Amino acid sequence: MKQTLIISFVLLQFIVAGCKTAPEKPESKAMTLSPPAADVAKPAIEPQADELMRRMSDYLAQAQFFSVSAEVWQDVQLPSGQQVQAGRTVDVQVRRPNRFHAEVRSTRHNHGLYYDGTSITLLNRVKNFYGSIPAPSTLDEALDMASERFGITLPLEDLIVSDPYQNAIHKTISGRDFGPVTILGVPCEHLAFSLGTVDWQIWIEDGARPVPRKIVITYKDEEGSPEYTAILSNWDFQTELPDSVFNFEPPTGAAKIDVAEIKSKNQAHKKEGK
Amino acid sequence: MRFTNIASITKFEVGLLVLLATVTLVYAEQRPQQSKRAEPAPRSEPSRAPVQSSPVGVDRVNHGTLRHVDTQVVQRPVAVQHPVAVQRPVEVQHSAEVQHRFPNYGTVIRHVDPHVDIGRRQLWHGFVFGERLHGLRPGYIQLFLNGVPYCYDAGIYYQQVGNDYQEIYPPVGAYVQELPPGAIEIDAGNLIYYYACGAFYVQQDGGFVIVPTPIGVTVPELPPGAVQVSINGGLAYQFNGIYYQPVFMNGVTQYTTFIP
Repeated sequence: MKQTLIISFVLLQFIVAGCKTAPEKPESKAMTLSPPAADVAKPAIEPQADELMRRMSDYLAQAQFFSVSAEVWQDVQLPSGQQVQAGRTVDVQVRRPNRFHAEVRSTRHNHGLYYDGTSITLLNRVKNFYGSIPAPSTLDEALDMASERFGITLPLEDLIVSDPYQNAIHKTISGRDFGPVTILGVPCEHLAFSLGTVDWQIWIEDGARPVPRKIVITYKDEEGSPEYTAILSNWDFQTELPDSVFNFEPPTGAAKIDVAEIKSKNQAHKKEGK
Repeated sequence: MRFTNIASITKFEVGLLVLLATVTLVYAEQRPQQSKRAEPAPRSEPSRAPVQSSPVGVDRVNHGTLRHVDTQVVQRPVAVQHPVAVQRPVEVQHSAEVQHRFPNYGTVIRHVDPHVDIGRRQLWHGFVFGERLHGLRPGYIQLFLNGVPYCYDAGIYYQQVGNDYQEIYPPVGAYVQELPPGAIEIDAGNLIYYYACGAFYVQQDGGFVIVPTPIGVTVPELPPGAVQVSINGGLAYQFNGIYYQPVFMNGVTQYTTFIP
């Protein structure tokens, strides 16, 4: 009997010891057998998601001109830690290769932004101030210069670049197609991608006009993981956009003020190619 | 194995049961951890909860772009000038009783996204120089600066005139234990200012003291009641003897302090 109890106790110790170390085994195995970091970082974008992104990109890139409106909602974390959303509307008009106009409106703000191929002009419609900076001759160069030297982000710039697919995908590490979803009554395909510290989602309209209907960017590397949401509507590829849409004319009584240059860093889109 | 009597069988079974029970308990202890690791974390709650554990080093000025998601603004050191030497508070006394009742707001705005439009109105946004009030809100602070008595409430300073309280410009040297609610952090390179109601506070002795307005810093909003003036044919604003020049910075209008 004593022998039996001893055997049982020994068995018990072995099993308990095995159970306690069991969860660590996969980790230690992973440490020795995992592939090099470069292999792990390979893009893992589902073909269907990739194909839909290419279709959307081609459609926008081939459009010589278009107009679109967006309702933008952005999370804001208050000093108390509470998170709220702030909204604004954006109306954008683009004529490739070098014309852009946007109007950004909210309760207290009202800004115009003009790019005519030679300069970018900002207009504060509330204060009636405007300021101009010389700009390169293409949209891609102009929006890079505006962001990196002056801290100006052109609204919806990811949709107006010459190659929206490369622009969005080149830093993306994973992507999935989550299937059909309806956005404001429009059948769409829901795609979700990740840059690692930043996730983004896009809802692309089904059918012959694969335009984005909604975009969400989640900044996981910021406190509270705030989200930027743009719901897009009024896509118009028919109405021609004359020069007068993009040429800035100062409103009556407007005062010209300076546009301050800022310093920026981490211009990753240049390092990694477009 | 051969069992010679019922007692030994029972004891063996008891031992076996103990063994099985122990194994079950140990597995039960391990399983929740294993399954927790295997399951993807729910997206909404963890990602939207304030990130307390990991340091947050990203300070984007603009959101809504993938192309420039990594482009961050780096604060240029500002060659700040002070029109007069910074005074230390000569004599600051707090009424212990009223100070105790002063709420701990602690609502410093550390980051202003220029595109976000959200109501941040505080009491001091309604400051009107010279305006008289018949009474102050409960919880105001009494303080003395160079022997002169002042009253303070949430960013606004008052002097008693008869039975009234008159709003005055924030006095340099005034010391408060808590910043005015909604004060905006201004990073001037080597020095951090906190800006509220046209006053620039710096941290000192566990509290905050008003220093002379630094010249050359840029603030996201004008002091309340700043008056539009023309300086050398250019547009500017004036508040308490300091001039503010409008400038587009990060795509929105901000104001840089200057002396003509």
